[in-house]
Amino acid sequence: MFNTTIIIKSLPLLLEASVWTVVYSLTSVAIGFCIGTLMCAARLSTSPAARRVSAFYVSFFRGVPLLVQLLISYYCLPLVGINVPSSVAAVGTLALCTGAYITEILRGGFLGIPAGLIEAARMVGLSRTQILTRIEVPLAVRFTLPSLVNETTMMVKASSLISVVGVLELTRLAQNIATSTFQPLEIYLTAGAIYFVINGVITLLGALLESRFQLEAAR
Amino acid sequence: MQHPARRYAVIRAVRLAALGVATSLVASMAFAGLGHAEDLLAKVKAKGELTVGTELQFAPFDFIEDGKQAGMNKEIFAEIGKDLGVKVTFLDLPWPSVLPGLEAGKFDMVAGPATITKARMERYRFTSPIADATVAILKKKGDGSITKPQDIAGKKVGSGKATAQLAQLQEFAKTLSPEPTIQEYIDFSQSYADLGAGRIVAVANSLPNIAFLAKQKPDVFEVVEPPFGKPVYFGFIGTKAEDAKSLMDAVDKVIIAMKHDGRLAALQKKWFGTAMSTPDYVTEASF
Repeated sequence: MFNTTIIIKSLPLLLEASVWTVVYSLTSVAIGFCIGTLMCAARLSTSPAARRVSAFYVSFFRGVPLLVQLLISYYCLPLVGINVPSSVAAVGTLALCTGAYITEILRGGFLGIPAGLIEAARMVGLSRTQILTRIEVPLAVRFTLPSLVNETTMMVKASSLISVVGVLELTRLAQNIATSTFQPLEIYLTAGAIYFVINGVITLLGALLESRFQLEAAR
Repeated sequence: MQHPARRYAVIRAVRLAALGVATSLVASMAFAGLGHAEDLLAKVKAKGELTVGTELQFAPFDFIEDGKQAGMNKEIFAEIGKDLGVKVTFLDLPWPSVLPGLEAGKFDMVAGPATITKARMERYRFTSPIADATVAILKKKGDGSITKPQDIAGKKVGSGKATAQLAQLQEFAKTLSPEPTIQEYIDFSQSYADLGAGRIVAVANSLPNIAFLAKQKPDVFEVVEPPFGKPVYFGFIGTKAEDAKSLMDAVDKVIIAMKHDGRLAALQKKWFGTAMSTPDYVTEASF
């Protein structure tokens, strides 16, 4: 019953599609990290308007399912004249969604930074942006690295949803091959194994980064 | 913290990327504003490209072979593209997003194909039919308890959720006693898997699809002749909008020409194993 030739035949195609999975999810996490940093700074700023904008952003993108967000960005925005191509809709929506989670992850890290440290930085004449990019973000990332790695692996898996806006990725290709060959078991097992390996590598890189940070801290 | 220069380079790159995304967003918004309500055929010809939405999970019409699109749709649209003098680009989407994509203007028309039904004709413009879509029963190879469609009475049968095929099965089930239990599936491949595993005894789907499956897996599946459903047809889909009329008329002209010179029959023979007669136009659907 179990057919290994179909796995060997489909593996190069699945690997090719998994490149898109990696590209889309990591690009989104990178952009989402920038959005998250800005939104987190806004959330912790003294301006009530900025705090409100950030809170609304987080509650919307965390509160609405990613699948619905994708459908809105691709099928509903054209009705009001915003017609984005599939790839932009996919990356944009994934980035905005993960950005909301990263905002909250980083907020936890920011709140862990001793107030005295920021005061000291201000004393030596660093600007607000410099404090953010040179002190707060690096420290917050160190504090929250396990959660950020966690979020990245979640995004790799969540990227399986972007086929609804016409983007080919690993899950979509696996479905296409499974329904075309009528061999779903073998194909889905292979796709699952590829996701497992991708996230294994991400976890490993996270662990390496973490031990490097610890070395630096010990120095 | 040893490489501040490198970190600045990263920050600069990120800023640049953000700017790039913002610019492309604005640019595509501007594009969307232009060229609305322009004649679709003229637009397609000017662009030199016909964009077709479809799902590559509908063998033998659209599926994957060695990583590439294969099937009857590709070959019919090759003829359409040749006649219109444009390149045909297919966009693969899950079926529930294909028709919303058509309405949102993401592509010029939809391949599919879909069963031409009364309800759908009210909302969409179908092309001249390309195949017979009458619903039939697929059973496990050698299942002696089902020799005609009526034999599914009192048994467990599957079909695709929200499909025209399911609606026909439901109507047929009401005429049987005892009524069969109907299991609905998100996509037909799951129902085939359950049939193979023995969780259901039959699947109701359009004849071309199950005939192709039975041909691919002759030792697992078998088609129960004759089909039980009302005679219906498969057609490609476009919008009813005034600006799409010229394109749909042009596509119809190609398909009807293919019917009359035998090209369509040859494709049907290649993909279904038999040629089918289809009318030039379906003006009133039977279902």
